[in-house]
Amino acid sequence: MARDRVSGLAWLAVALFAAAQGLSLGLGSLHRPGPGFFPFWGGVALGLLSILLVVRTPARDTPGAPRLRPDTARPFVAAGAILGYLLLLEVLGFVPVTFLFLLLLFRLERRGWAFSAVSAAAGAVGAYALFQLWLKTQLPSGPLGF
Amino acid sequence: MEIFSGVLYGFQVALQPINLLYCFIGVFIGTLVGVLPGLGPAAAIALLLPSTFAASPVAAIIMLAGIYYGAMYGGSTTSILVNIPGEAASVVTCLDGYVMARQGRAGAALGIAAFGSFIAGTLSVIALTFLAPFLARVTLRFGPPEYFALMALGLTLLTFFARESTVKALMMAAVGLLCGTVGQDTISGRFRFAFGIRTLEDGLGLVPVIMGLFGISEVLLNLEQREQRRDIFAPPTTGLLPTRQDWRDSSVPILRGSVLGFFLGILPGAGAIIASFASYAVEKRASRHPERFGAGAIEGVAGPEAANNAAAGGAFIPLLTLGIPANAVMAILLGALMIHGLQPGPLLVKQAPDVFWGIITSMYIGNAMLLVLNLPLIPMWARLLRVPYSVMYPFILLFCLIGAYSVTNNVGDGIVMWVFGIVGYLLKKFDYEGAPLILAMVIGPMMEEALRQSLILSAGSFDIFVSRPIAAGFLAAAAVLLILPLMRRR
Repeated sequence: MARDRVSGLAWLAVALFAAAQGLSLGLGSLHRPGPGFFPFWGGVALGLLSILLVVRTPARDTPGAPRLRPDTARPFVAAGAILGYLLLLEVLGFVPVTFLFLLLLFRLERRGWAFSAVSAAAGAVGAYALFQLWLKTQLPSGPLGF
Repeated sequence: MEIFSGVLYGFQVALQPINLLYCFIGVFIGTLVGVLPGLGPAAAIALLLPSTFAASPVAAIIMLAGIYYGAMYGGSTTSILVNIPGEAASVVTCLDGYVMARQGRAGAALGIAAFGSFIAGTLSVIALTFLAPFLARVTLRFGPPEYFALMALGLTLLTFFARESTVKALMMAAVGLLCGTVGQDTISGRFRFAFGIRTLEDGLGLVPVIMGLFGISEVLLNLEQREQRRDIFAPPTTGLLPTRQDWRDSSVPILRGSVLGFFLGILPGAGAIIASFASYAVEKRASRHPERFGAGAIEGVAGPEAANNAAAGGAFIPLLTLGIPANAVMAILLGALMIHGLQPGPLLVKQAPDVFWGIITSMYIGNAMLLVLNLPLIPMWARLLRVPYSVMYPFILLFCLIGAYSVTNNVGDGIVMWVFGIVGYLLKKFDYEGAPLILAMVIGPMMEEALRQSLILSAGSFDIFVSRPIAAGFLAAAAVLLILPLMRRR
């Protein structure tokens, strides 16, 4: 599959970067390996394997291969929501961020506002009770105190 | 005799009420994770690891182990009733289990899966009980060169069992080795791949990486598909006890699956998934009526379900005797032991006999609990399957977020999880496997240390790997395994 060429080239770039980092860290000698020894040889191994993968792969896609691009934006919205959650967690506090996070995802799934809001609130408070109060996890609190 | 006193001591530990409770929680959550598609045992154990920090090491590991083998039981329920594997090791169970359900024999399929799992799980714990202390004594004499050679062999075995291409599996192992070098180098004190970011200076956390690769990415991938209505067979409440004929058909496959699963479980990278497939293939070949397979053969449920449970037991051998994980779940358990201040390896049985024997004997108890838990509660598990994925996945993501954050109370670890979630999503789309990456990431730093220690021992001479017969043997075997598949085309 041609997509193996794409991923192979991407990994080749990673490999070159790792090998370069290894070199700058210092390989040491073969008998006294330095901090760059593993990164360098790991990078070299990855690079050689990537080249092998690219060379072996025919340039044309085999017909009938599944499409790479999904038909829906759901994965991207979810990924964005996770990142947003992390960036806002220590700003707003656990309960408000969790509420917003769940609300967004339920709305994404085209649930009604009432269902989404109630479920998100219940989920946020429930998770707070479970993790903070029962399991004694240290969750960040925001300006509201939770 | 040593084993007897060990087992006796183990039961004293495992039967303490608090440990019984943790064992129960573990197998209960394990069954839940097994039943629910889209959340595997690796992600679940990573998720719950932080919640065990307050518990004693024994209780913590008993619970986490319970999740693992509990998931092997639960997975079959979903395969049989919905034709969707609850987790990866139950894929083959769909083939005949679902057909049996359509023929009105769901009860027999569920029953034999539970009994087969129980028998295999127990047999494999018995084997573990006798083999682990013996192996721990043998491996006690291993020095750094033997360890290095053994880990090299382990990594090549891992790629040998790769389901996709060997080249890609080796690439993933290389990426994992690189991931393992992130952070401060223990010998020189220099930072590698940290770029001045504090989270990275401590090294990549195993928990966020696993939750990203096996938890987040799975959800993202599932979101690509619009939800279909699941056809769930009304779970039977009677007829779960296999008939005499069922037993006659299944007893040999269960025994064969147990042996096969146990030994495949020990090998790095093989594990429960390969074991279940191998058992199905073996049963089909051994059967006098191979055409019945795929058309509701009870052997096709009994064998693989036995195999995946036996593999879960076998996987503890390298962890408890060598401190080397055989699969991603064992990698987290290794991390869990270390977080609790224990050094897994040949010394564990001497240094922490309560943990060593406590874990092993708790599995006898856990397997019995699972049998009781599974049969009468099947209707409850089936009802759970009616919860739509669109309601479930926001909570899976939320639990992952809380889990990643709470290991070190650091948002940075959450970001690591997010990055590996995206990476894992892309890896799946481009047909790469995550397991070799995780194992190499855990084994890599151990290997690097063993290599450097060996070279210090030998004053820089590589002869040390050739002149010590055990090390040389492991390395030779690794070389053969490495070269063989590369010689084949693709």
